[in-house]
Amino acid sequence: MILQMNGDSAARFDEALSAVGEKLRRSTVQVFDGRRGAGSGVIWRADGWIVTNAHVVSGGSARIRFADGRTLEADIIARAAERDIAALYVAASDLPAAEIGASTAVRVGEIVLAAGSPFGVRGAVSAGVLHAVGPVPRVGKQRWLQADLELAPGNSGGPLADASGRVIGINSMIAMGLGLAIPSHEVEQFLRRAMRRREAA
Amino acid sequence: MSTSNSSNSSAALVALSNDLANVVERAGQGVLAIHARHRVPSSGIHWQKGVAVAAEHTIKRDEEIQISVPDGRTVPATLAGRDPGTDIAVLKFDAGDLTPPDISDSSSLRIGHLVLAVSRSEGNHLGASFGAISAVGGTWRTWRGGQLDQFLRLDLAIYIGFSGSALVNAQGQVVGLNTSGLARGMAMAIPASTVNRVTKELLEKGHVSRGFLGIGMQPVILPAAVRERLKLASETGALLISVEPDGPAAQAGLMLGDVLLALDGQAIRDTDDIQAHLGSEKVGKQVSASILRGGALTQASIRIGERPRRGR
Repeated sequence: MILQMNGDSAARFDEALSAVGEKLRRSTVQVFDGRRGAGSGVIWRADGWIVTNAHVVSGGSARIRFADGRTLEADIIARAAERDIAALYVAASDLPAAEIGASTAVRVGEIVLAAGSPFGVRGAVSAGVLHAVGPVPRVGKQRWLQADLELAPGNSGGPLADASGRVIGINSMIAMGLGLAIPSHEVEQFLRRAMRRREAA
Repeated sequence: MSTSNSSNSSAALVALSNDLANVVERAGQGVLAIHARHRVPSSGIHWQKGVAVAAEHTIKRDEEIQISVPDGRTVPATLAGRDPGTDIAVLKFDAGDLTPPDISDSSSLRIGHLVLAVSRSEGNHLGASFGAISAVGGTWRTWRGGQLDQFLRLDLAIYIGFSGSALVNAQGQVVGLNTSGLARGMAMAIPASTVNRVTKELLEKGHVSRGFLGIGMQPVILPAAVRERLKLASETGALLISVEPDGPAAQAGLMLGDVLLALDGQAIRDTDDIQAHLGSEKVGKQVSASILRGGALTQASIRIGERPRRGR
């Protein structure tokens, strides 16, 4: 219940932050859609599924740049502009997938991290706390994970993760200074539909 | 890296994360949403059983105020009083079974200490913002004339509902009332001791009294020759440009054109220096004034009055 931050715990905290940041960075990709700039994406499954924002791939194509520098062309399998989410597929089988957390069990005040390429800076991680969960006044009735942390345009489509590096959301927009992320359980539902669609095709 | 490896290395972060969420949950039991303005509510703190404190500048109406409490109810509240000088408003409401949070003195806060601002917003949701104490100072006279026991500047993000939210320390105790309304939008906190003092006065009297001299002043530079002759230390004083008839200063014999040099031996270099002598506790007390009149020093004893209240 009580925070005890002595010099030692501050050092351990620092170490943990960099370890979790590194884990998150490996499963975060850059997404280019042929226009200027790049968004981010999350390797959701090792067998080729990548999730990003719909607005990141509004150019109609998607080239993925992985943390290790590899680049691959991806197919845009599903895109839902109203929820600003898109499912991409690359022909690969051993991608460093993110560990997915439970966005239904998050708590206000818990530590959250975001990874992405704000302003084109690759592999950037920012940390903060979960500000609130739920709709945002004047943004609509959708539920968001509202994060008290620093985001920039290149973070779009990238992961919002908990303190163990488990992805709990997809960063989508900045509103009134808050980073808004689509909860991971909604992403899972969306991805299941996209996978069925690909199987059917 | 294996999963077990990464969970080991993240342990310190997970522990801190859980601590923060616990702190928010616990302190949040004492944080309220105050509906007293158009559109979005502001926050407030359940300070004493059935007594809420809020940021005065967010209380836009005196009636039809409602409070959303942590158990999900929204109940009517009555305004007990407001003090724009310290940006504190006090409201009364039916707290039911709710108990006030753990409130602690802020004097042990140091620059760099981790703190949270815990708010309650539309839909009765808690909101949290995490940061650090970025500056700590002694007593601070606000630009609206009130006095805070401690100057507390916060390094954290301000979101809707920040004003009136609770400043929570790492032990989960409420140590102040946050506001962005005292220093041009800057995030700062009113220390718990000031909230206690003002709340007590507002509950007892419905307002916070201020000392009153009944004079208008303008700072003036004292002529070098006069300063030399009278061996005056300060270079400036306060020239009386109006004296209210029958006011405390007039009754003590002060006149238009007098230059006020000191009160109770403390130099008056400009009009701000006067404010320190006009706190609520000074009302009714005698204060000795050093005056420059016609090139000579003279003394007067003024009984500080209470500033007349403007009708709201």
